Amino acid sequence: MSCGPLVFLAAFFAFAASWFGLVLAPQFQVGRLQQETNVVNTTELYPSARPGLARQGLEVYRAAGCAACHTEQVGQTGTVCDVVLTDAGTNHAALIETLIRSGLGRSNPGQYLSELPKPVRQGLNKEEADFLATALKSAGAKADVRIVPVGPDIARGWGKRRTVAEDYLYDDPVMLGSLRVGPDLANVGVRLPDPNWHLRHLYAPRLEVKDSPMPPYRYLFTMRRIGWQPSPDALQLPGEFAPPPGFEIVPKPEARALVAYLSSLRTDAVLFEAPMTAPSAPAAATATNTPAK
Amino acid sequence: MIEDPSSSKSPAARPDTAQVDASCRVPLFVLFGSAVSWAVMASALALIASIKFHSPDFLADCAWLTYGRVHAAAVDAQLYGFALQSGFGAALWIIARLGGNRVSQPWLIGVGGKLWNLGVLVGVIGILAGDSTGFENFEMPRYAGWILFLGYLMIGLWTALTLHRRNEGRLSPPQWFFLAALFWFPWIDSTAHLLLLVFRVRGVEQSLIDWWWSDNLLLVWLSLTGLGAVFYLVPKLAGRPLHSDRLALFAFWTLILFGSWAGIPAGAPVPAWIPALSAVATVLTLIPLLAAAVNVRQTLDGHCRALAANPAFLFVGFGVAAWLAAGVMRIASALPGISPITSFTWFGVALSELHSYGFFAMILFGVIYCSVPQVAGLEWPCAGSVRAHFWLGSIGILLSALPLAVGGILQGLKLNDAGTGFVELTKGTLPFLRASTLGDLLMMIGNLLLAVNFVRLSVRFGRARLAPSCASFAADLKPAEVKP
Amino acid sequence: MSLESHQPVSNASAVQEPQARAALAPVWLIVLMFMLLYCGAVYFDQNGGWFDSRIYAPYQTYTELESFQPKGGGPDLARGKAVFDTICALCHGANGEGKPGQAPPLAGSEWAQGSPDRMIRIPLYGLSGAVSVKGQQFNLAMPAMGAALSPDDLASVLVYIRTSWGNKGSVVTPEQVSAIKAKVGNHPQPFTVDELNAIQ
Repeated sequence: MSCGPLVFLAAFFAFAASWFGLVLAPQFQVGRLQQETNVVNTTELYPSARPGLARQGLEVYRAAGCAACHTEQVGQTGTVCDVVLTDAGTNHAALIETLIRSGLGRSNPGQYLSELPKPVRQGLNKEEADFLATALKSAGAKADVRIVPVGPDIARGWGKRRTVAEDYLYDDPVMLGSLRVGPDLANVGVRLPDPNWHLRHLYAPRLEVKDSPMPPYRYLFTMRRIGWQPSPDALQLPGEFAPPPGFEIVPKPEARALVAYLSSLRTDAVLFEAPMTAPSAPAAATATNTPAK
Repeated sequence: MIEDPSSSKSPAARPDTAQVDASCRVPLFVLFGSAVSWAVMASALALIASIKFHSPDFLADCAWLTYGRVHAAAVDAQLYGFALQSGFGAALWIIARLGGNRVSQPWLIGVGGKLWNLGVLVGVIGILAGDSTGFENFEMPRYAGWILFLGYLMIGLWTALTLHRRNEGRLSPPQWFFLAALFWFPWIDSTAHLLLLVFRVRGVEQSLIDWWWSDNLLLVWLSLTGLGAVFYLVPKLAGRPLHSDRLALFAFWTLILFGSWAGIPAGAPVPAWIPALSAVATVLTLIPLLAAAVNVRQTLDGHCRALAANPAFLFVGFGVAAWLAAGVMRIASALPGISPITSFTWFGVALSELHSYGFFAMILFGVIYCSVPQVAGLEWPCAGSVRAHFWLGSIGILLSALPLAVGGILQGLKLNDAGTGFVELTKGTLPFLRASTLGDLLMMIGNLLLAVNFVRLSVRFGRARLAPSCASFAADLKPAEVKP
Repeated sequence: MSLESHQPVSNASAVQEPQARAALAPVWLIVLMFMLLYCGAVYFDQNGGWFDSRIYAPYQTYTELESFQPKGGGPDLARGKAVFDTICALCHGANGEGKPGQAPPLAGSEWAQGSPDRMIRIPLYGLSGAVSVKGQQFNLAMPAMGAALSPDDLASVLVYIRTSWGNKGSVVTPEQVSAIKAKVGNHPQPFTVDELNAIQ
């Protein structure tokens, strides 16, 4: 053990290995990602840089340490396929025969022929789905195979697919979070699109979510005397949360920025690394104000 | 940089233990003294953060005291203020002791320690003011990072020089551990600081560097320093030789090789090979865990009971047990079947508490209780409070970590069942959080006892040193009385 | 209680720092390490995606990942854009605005958005003679591209043309392209407007 320099060198390389493996090598893979053009069904580059106000909101998110309780990463445990009948064709007898043979049962298979497009089988693996789609096509019908990512996070409505490195290209700093005291926010812009909901929720979390353990962020708001007429920005607060008469609660610029950032959080683009059938446009529009389970 | 044993200085030039200890006095008082105050500070901040879970409105209207900031400030005060700082002190003392030589430039190390504390203070205030970097375990703002690094350079450089100028040629296992820790810290710190804050990398690469930094600081650095102290204190307190230095070195190499790859969580949004490799490395940390456990067990060889009378040994014993428990928890939570349940839950918090408080802080309390009386030449003013600190600390840790671990597993099971409403499952963790707040309170009282004891000892020391020197100042100072 | 009294340090001389024996590491530990290394290698082989930067859990291989790429959702527009930029944009302009004396515009063109059966034939076999686009007269020759492009690429670029710059044409599938190839067969001369107008 007197061969100090040798030991020092050996320790140096033992340590350096992890630096090369976990710092340098990923830098070539994920640190140098560019905007992707390989996004299905759109010519837009993904991801796009956040607009200015949302960029400021990220700073508010960072300064307040929101990442201590919220993650921004959606997990996925698997991928399944749904077979969707889009066109029943003309040979209904052959189609029904195929559907019954595919395991749908004999009880009223005719129901699958109306109100198309309609999913006929869900949760299949890729081979089964392709087999069924081919069988339906040979029966003269048309069928799509939909790629559906699954997992508890997705079932909670926190996202449509797992998040990948590409999704975070323009976040600086990237705050993935490690603890879920609050729900995941990776896709909150799609899930909760109403900025006024967010403002009320920041001011008084328990106003919007009963029993929420989230602390209020009243320091992002000012209470002021109502002037000539009430400000259009003032929060609409019921009962116990309302300010004293003659006063109103208005968000500071920080609160607006934070809400702009939250609204800009969306990870529903289709990427090669996380394939899925693009969520149809109306689905996003009908997203409600209710927080995900 | 390491001397040949044949060139060891003649025995006549070797200072005796008392002289070695005396040379450690200034740096240890600075490093340990401030570390203890940061421990109190950190546990107070952690308590505030913890209370917010039961009453979210508690101190909520002040931006400085919002949960996210207080939590980050508590973590960093504990990490930088207590863990790293006391680790530097322990490394210095044991390196000087084992080398049988005086500390090089103790005053400069003291100045380095002061600079480090300035950095921690600036950083914690910065975090509370909203300047956190947003990176977990690396929240210290950029301006504080520079001061910290400069402070470390002064401490680390002269600690390394102390090791270099040792009188004992052979390096013993604790010195290996400390040397590696001494050298690894500036590497990981500069990597994280430069790549995260100065020449910022893009996207998830930031998270990867942050995970790599956290793992190498918490798992590798804390374990290296803590085990170095264990492999010194256990034989020392037991009065028996270390069972095997080869086994200790085996633990050393496997810890470096496997531990440094272990930090990337399973679900991370990075290419699959990175978390897969990390999971394998985490499971392989079982090897250093077992190697160290076997070594400590064989060294004691059933002499535990007699040693339990010594409170310093209690701290070390508890620390080793907590290290093993945290290690097993870490390995379990990396296994493919279990990681989806434990990820993003309080289980991870329990694990890191058990590791950095239960293991590292307890071992370092042991070192502080052993070393300070030696370097000061004074007993602890209140021996009873040492024991009280042990019981408060150990019960506090258990009360904090165990409920969080159990609550975390329940939370994880419910998180994986989309049928359970999110608010409902969060409410389910509250009883466990209450227990953990109580644990935080006990730990804070324990830390306070140490701080009070430390202050009283310093006051006594000051009186003992100042009174004669004042007297002799009046009666004309004699050169013989000035001790080195 | 005195701490000092329990410490062997207090009455030890300088040389009595703890010594270490040189017992060997137990064999079972080494064996365990190699067993874990083996299991780790197997696990990595299955789940690591072999350092591929595009494979994320839960996907294990590139083939598996590729098999899940959605196909039914329509042709790949990015691919269409790439084809357009390399081949068509030279004459028709990067935004389909056309170039006087070279090619008519595609943006807003009634041809580009019209019958897919006509539209497919133009790049496949070419177009010569007088043609009216957006009220302007052109008399140019468009070369045949059919040999150079696969049905997939042709369908992608046609969808790109028919859905970009405000165009609202229907989707063209590779099957339609193949069908027209098979139907028309060998057609050595470019189509003319009259021939195209005969097709619905």
